Order: sequence, then C-alpha cells, then structure tokens
Amino acid sequence: MNRKLLAIAPLLVFAFVCVFLYQGLFANPREIQTGRIGHEMPAFTLPDLMQDNKQWTNEALKGEVYLLNVWGTWCPTCLAELGYLTKLREQGVKIIGLYYVQGYDADFDGPFDMQALRTEVQDMLERAGNPYQFNILDLHRTLSLDLGVSGAPETFLIDKNGTILLHHTGDINPRVWRSKFAPMMQELK
Amino acid sequence: MKWLLFSLSLLLTTSALAQTDRYVFDTDEQAVRFEELTKELRCPKCQNQNIADSDAIVAKDLRERVVELVKEGNTKDEVIDYMIDRYGYFVHYDPPVTPATLVLWVLPVLIVIVGFGFIVIRQRKASVKQTWSNQDEVLLNKLIEQNKRQEQS
Repeated sequence: MNRKLLAIAPLLVFAFVCVFLYQGLFANPREIQTGRIGHEMPAFTLPDLMQDNKQWTNEALKGEVYLLNVWGTWCPTCLAELGYLTKLREQGVKIIGLYYVQGYDADFDGPFDMQALRTEVQDMLERAGNPYQFNILDLHRTLSLDLGVSGAPETFLIDKNGTILLHHTGDINPRVWRSKFAPMMQELK
Repeated sequence: MKWLLFSLSLLLTTSALAQTDRYVFDTDEQAVRFEELTKELRCPKCQNQNIADSDAIVAKDLRERVVELVKEGNTKDEVIDYMIDRYGYFVHYDPPVTPATLVLWVLPVLIVIVGFGFIVIRQRKASVKQTWSNQDEVLLNKLIEQNKRQEQS
C-alpha cells in the first residue's frame, strides 16, 4: 500500500503543478491591487474639470451609489469603453469621472492649459458618448495615488456611505459588467 | 619602464558615478532610507520593476510620495504600510506571512524535511544487520536439496 502511494507520488506532484500553471495562464496579474476595498473613500478636495470655482469633496459624493471611472483622453482603452459606459448611464447608473492627467509636471510644462484640455475632453465626449454626471480633475494624481490607481482606465464601485466595494483595473465591457459589477449592484438595490 | 608604469597607472582610475541626485534630503540617513524603499517597492504598472527603475507615471508619483514621507520623518515600515494601504501587499517585494502566502514559506522547508526523511529511512533499511543462525543454515541446505531434486526430475 505504502509502496503504491510512493509510486504515484510523482504523478500527483506533476498533476498539481499542471493545475497550478494552467490556471496561471488565465490569471490576470492586474487583478490583485485591492488595497482600498472595504475602506471609505479617501478625503479630498479637487476642482471640477469643466467648471471654474467648483470644488468636489469626498463628503459631497456621499448619499448615492456611484461608479468612479478613472480616465483620460490620452488613453485609447478609455475611449473604447465610453460607448458602453454611456449605455449604463442610460440604464440609470451614476458615473463620475476622475480625470487622470498624464504626466503633467509644472517644472517642465509651465502653467497648465486648462482650456485646451476642456476642448479636448468635450470633443471626445461628443464623439464617443458622455457617461459622466461630472468630472473631477486630478491634476497631480493625488486622489489617484490615495485610491491605489496605477493607470487608466480603472473603475471603483462606491456605496451610499462612501465605502469602496470594488476596484476594477482595465476596461468595462458587457462581460466584466455581468460578472463583476451587476451582482453587486443588484445587492445594493 | 617609466612608460610602462605610466600606462599601467592609467588603468587604475576609479569610475565616476554618472548618476546625479534628483532628490535632496536633509540627512544621509533619509537618503539611504529613500534608496532602500525605492528598491523594495514594486511598480504597480510595470510589474517586474521596482519604483526606482520604472519610468511609469505611477512609479514617479510613488517615488515623489516616498520622498515626502521620508522627509516628514516616517520610518521605513511606516512608508511601506502607507503604500500597502493604497496598493495592497502586491506593492512590496517582501510578502508578509498570511494564510494566502503561507505555502511560499512552508513548502520549501517541507520539501527539504521530507527529502531528508526519505534518505534517512532508506539508509536505515539498507543498514539493517543480517543475522544468520544454525537454523537458517539447515533451512537453506534443505531448500537447496529440494531444488536439486526438482531439477533432476
């Protein structure tokens, strides 16, 4: 009996390694950044992207379930998901944009050209659809850092109390929505 | 001879470090802490680089935040915890012992123990002393006789 067990041990080890490596083939290495899940939205005060003199705070966003979508006009995947996000807006999902400015450095680039950015954003949203209630401008990517954002697009699901429930890295498409977001949205209703 | 010594001495020049310090710290200790941290923290975007090596925007942002935190007098562990709060355990190259990572720490030790155990057991079995009594001698002779008869018949 013992001998038999010993004889099949290498086979068992081999099978284990096979299973381990096989699931590694389909694992998404970007799925593991979950530092902020279960925590409250970090405190921030940031300007609106389109309006002068309008400031948004974490307190002001409380009270409703919403998606916080990190995006930028420089990001092709963000452009690709705008259409589907707009559909979601039409279905009644509240989506707030967090505009992630790509590598702006005051020391090199001089004063920030707000008007150029606004025109660019407006053009893109007119062409591809506008899923956003409004956009928050994260010029120095401080809120992004506090949220554990590593790039764009990324999307957070936040509940009425301002607690972060989901952090998705990558685009939102029907498949991702069905498997990840829809079940949670259902629960929140 | 003189020329030979001179040309040999040319080989003895020390290499100048071409890297300029982009961040200025109040104390050397802070600079060292920054250096260590940027090597241990992993870039969340380009996943096989630390934030010292990576040119991704997020790595630059993290470096700058590390500078701020170090200048504020945070210890190394405090900075690491700050980053783990935001980016998860993933951001540190030295994973802590948790139920999920336990296998990483236990498995190698286990393999070594099992391997040595196997060797020891084999060794013991192989070195068991053979005993040989008169009775065995009689039995052996009997068996040989039987065998012979079988062959003859």
